[in-house]
Amino acid sequence: MTTISSHPAARPAADAVVAMPRGRRQTELLMLVFAVGVVLLAYASVGLGLNGKLPAGIAEYGLAFAVIVFAAHLAVRRLTPWADPLLLPLAALLNGLGIVMIYRLQQSGRNGNPGFQISTMTASSTTQQVLYSALGVAAFVGVLAFIREVRVLQRYTYTLGAAGLFLLAIPALLPASHSAINGAKVWILLGPIKLEPGEFAKLALAVFFAGYLVAKRDVLALAGRRFLGIDLPRGRDLGPVLIAWAASLLILIFETDIGMSALFFGLFLAMIYVATQRTSWLLIGVALFLFGAFVASNLIGHVGERFDIWLHPFAGLNPTHNAYQLVQGLEGMGFGGILGTGLGQGQPFLTPLAQSDFIVTAFGEELGLAGLMAMLLIFGLMVQRGLRAAISVRDPFSKLLGGGLAFVIALQVFIIVGGVTGLIPLTGITTPFLSQGGSSLVASWALIALLMRISDAARRPAPQPIQDEGMTQVVRAG
Amino acid sequence: MNRALFRLSLACLAMFVLLLLNVNYVQAFQANSLAGEPGNSRVFDQQFQYQRGSIIAVGDGSGHEVTIAGSRPVKGTNTYHRYYPSGPAYAPVTGYDSIFGKTGIEGAEQKYLAGTASSLTVHNLIGLLTGKPKQGATVNLTISAKAQQAAYQALLNEQQQGHDAAAVAIDPRTGAILALASVPTFDPNKYTTLDGAKLDKIDKQYRLDPAQPLLNRAINATFPPGSSFKLVTSSAAFSTGKVAGPNATVNAPQPFTLPNGHQLNNDNGQICGNGHPQVIEAFWLSCNTAFGQIGINLGGATLRDYASRFGMNSSNLTIPMPVSPSVVPLNTDRSLSAYTAIGQLDDQLTPLQEAMDAAAIYLVQSVQAPDLSTIQSASPSVLSQAVSQQVANEVAQMMIQVTQNPAGTAYQTAGPPTLGNSVVIAGKTGTAENGVNNVGLNDAVFTCFAPAASPTIAVGVIVKGGGFGADAAAPIAVQIIKAYLGLH
Repeated sequence: MTTISSHPAARPAADAVVAMPRGRRQTELLMLVFAVGVVLLAYASVGLGLNGKLPAGIAEYGLAFAVIVFAAHLAVRRLTPWADPLLLPLAALLNGLGIVMIYRLQQSGRNGNPGFQISTMTASSTTQQVLYSALGVAAFVGVLAFIREVRVLQRYTYTLGAAGLFLLAIPALLPASHSAINGAKVWILLGPIKLEPGEFAKLALAVFFAGYLVAKRDVLALAGRRFLGIDLPRGRDLGPVLIAWAASLLILIFETDIGMSALFFGLFLAMIYVATQRTSWLLIGVALFLFGAFVASNLIGHVGERFDIWLHPFAGLNPTHNAYQLVQGLEGMGFGGILGTGLGQGQPFLTPLAQSDFIVTAFGEELGLAGLMAMLLIFGLMVQRGLRAAISVRDPFSKLLGGGLAFVIALQVFIIVGGVTGLIPLTGITTPFLSQGGSSLVASWALIALLMRISDAARRPAPQPIQDEGMTQVVRAG
Repeated sequence: MNRALFRLSLACLAMFVLLLLNVNYVQAFQANSLAGEPGNSRVFDQQFQYQRGSIIAVGDGSGHEVTIAGSRPVKGTNTYHRYYPSGPAYAPVTGYDSIFGKTGIEGAEQKYLAGTASSLTVHNLIGLLTGKPKQGATVNLTISAKAQQAAYQALLNEQQQGHDAAAVAIDPRTGAILALASVPTFDPNKYTTLDGAKLDKIDKQYRLDPAQPLLNRAINATFPPGSSFKLVTSSAAFSTGKVAGPNATVNAPQPFTLPNGHQLNNDNGQICGNGHPQVIEAFWLSCNTAFGQIGINLGGATLRDYASRFGMNSSNLTIPMPVSPSVVPLNTDRSLSAYTAIGQLDDQLTPLQEAMDAAAIYLVQSVQAPDLSTIQSASPSVLSQAVSQQVANEVAQMMIQVTQNPAGTAYQTAGPPTLGNSVVIAGKTGTAENGVNNVGLNDAVFTCFAPAASPTIAVGVIVKGGGFGADAAAPIAVQIIKAYLGLH
């Protein structure tokens, strides 16, 4: 068979992973309409559940949300026409549901029963979250517009690495009055500005790890001594993993933020494993992590206490004291049961920080097991689309970065959802797209933009052969 | 790198599978136990937003059901309010439903009243699908309103004379509890306030009251049974063959010198019959010396064994509220078993146990587990084997003499002089000496069943400090029996 490879479907089997040839932008639009529809219905359902009326501002909020996501869609059409059609609708759906839940929590109780006004929320929380969403989408479009090739980031490997470390270190260096909320020293608080630099550091460090590991992976993959059937890396190559470990421990100690610390170290381990394909790195990493966790739980009372809360949430004074938040979240989920109370009809406001760390339990209570599983599957699908892009892209740097970014979504969801549902010890990090707060939302949108860019590169058909008056043709012999 | 990325995908998959399994565990499997956690604010708040199930006394048969606890909507709010139409009369049964906690049936049947029981899941689901507002299940109690009101009124008289008292009535055929009253008592309506500060004040007032109105004396307080325990002693004596039967004679000197040298006296030092009475005569006269002698012959171990057969010494009886155990300790000292046999020393029975004693004699061979609630049509369950048919008949025959023989201890108060020919009660009085060196007033005890030929009600009454069982306790039992049987 001899054909001109003008149609990507005819590309050779070596790239068989790339199954979807067309841009699929129509699919994306359809899915976006669906996502906006679900969000609007959920929003209406909150009002009906709370007091039997459609909520005020359904038109305004709905329109604002629709405009934001369709703007993103237009940008995608222009900037990454070949990108995966599901990533944007999935992100939009989660973002929208997050806004709905924040609106719902701001309203609190039922039927003119004001319930508990959540002291950590203000009357403008919902509007703010919509604004943050607009900012997030702006960041999304910005990343798509300015980073036309993911590979250009490789040039800034060390710059971004330094930036990431700097971002991480700021809260530790600032006085507590400008960096600590509820004991976690992870903020930058300057007047009205409230930033969580760790969320952005996550992205910068993922780029740094990808650039560094792509350059060093051959060396790091060299086998040293063999021990118990495992090829250990050479001693002199242990530097990077030790540095990453030490940095994680420093975050833990100076910012008392176990979640972020575990997230960074986990991201590093996953990426070094993908780059070197050596299990020994994983084993060394896990051993270091366990050692660090053991030391920390003995030295830092805060950490040991987390373990106690996790293992015995209902023991002794725990339900009313240390484990109050976890117990409230679990009881809320149990109360929601399989089908949930319905939006606006539960009492998720009883759980402290239901609008941020514990937002998943609020969904569990009001949408039930069915709704919560659907949301977890949305996250799962998002991760799967990201990994798929990483697997099909050819450039090693993009591959590594894509894998790392997709993994970091999964790990973050695992840490926070596992924490609030009692699967693992609770550590406070945000739930991507759902939690209240601008930093997390903007960083998440930027992350999705990077995945879209990688996916676009992976799915972009090979360059059209130059039809130079029949002189040169790309011809393949089947 | 693709191989490693595939593996990373598997790791991600594993994380999501773990999360999914865990939320399934929490929301599907753990949901019930989470709902039952003390201090679950959601379940707590919910109880005021849905109509809690009523508690109904159905013991008088259909058409005579009486609501003893209900919930009604509060105007202008989203909440329901609990109320008790005749609060204090039924307080020992219903307990209270407050924002601090629940007692009595309100606590014991919480999952039905709140509608969270797993057996109601299908019902609730249908309600959810058909849009019916959620509602708790109604709990039907075996309580007879007639018997309960009579018991409460009769006990109130005792309370006015400064006595604590309690009465329990059982249907001996099924073990169904017909009445369960205790004084001094409380008004559960006062506990229904949603105002925490107000409730705290009321609760403190009740708890610190020296009269202990919150104590359910019918099932959670024990008293010495006194001579009413002779019913158990007789059963043991006949069953073991140590005494041939009611007509056998027994040695009853006055005073009776125990092996340890102490002297056991009859009431007022009276001689028991001719000094060698038949057991039946000693029973209706309630001679301590005769039964002290029998107790020594039987020994402490046998007495304890028969007490246990009547349901004493058991700490896991629930009706469904937990019942404090009635205790007949093991006395190996021969002299002390004489005291055990006449219900003194360390014997301690609940009023419920007094009623069970009488019920057991009718029930021939078994002691029915008493039960209050019929929500899942509680089937009568046999607690233990007490005595044989023959022994039961013999003891019943003796109990009839207590009220029918002109010399019987309860002839005046529970026999023909008060009741005429309307009903024959078979009973046993008890007048228990009380306190250190017996300086306290005697506790009055009466245990009985009626009609003697085919009993439908067994009653146990204890009046603390009431004096003679025949004078203080028997009239209360008579009131209850008359009300339940519809006699005037």
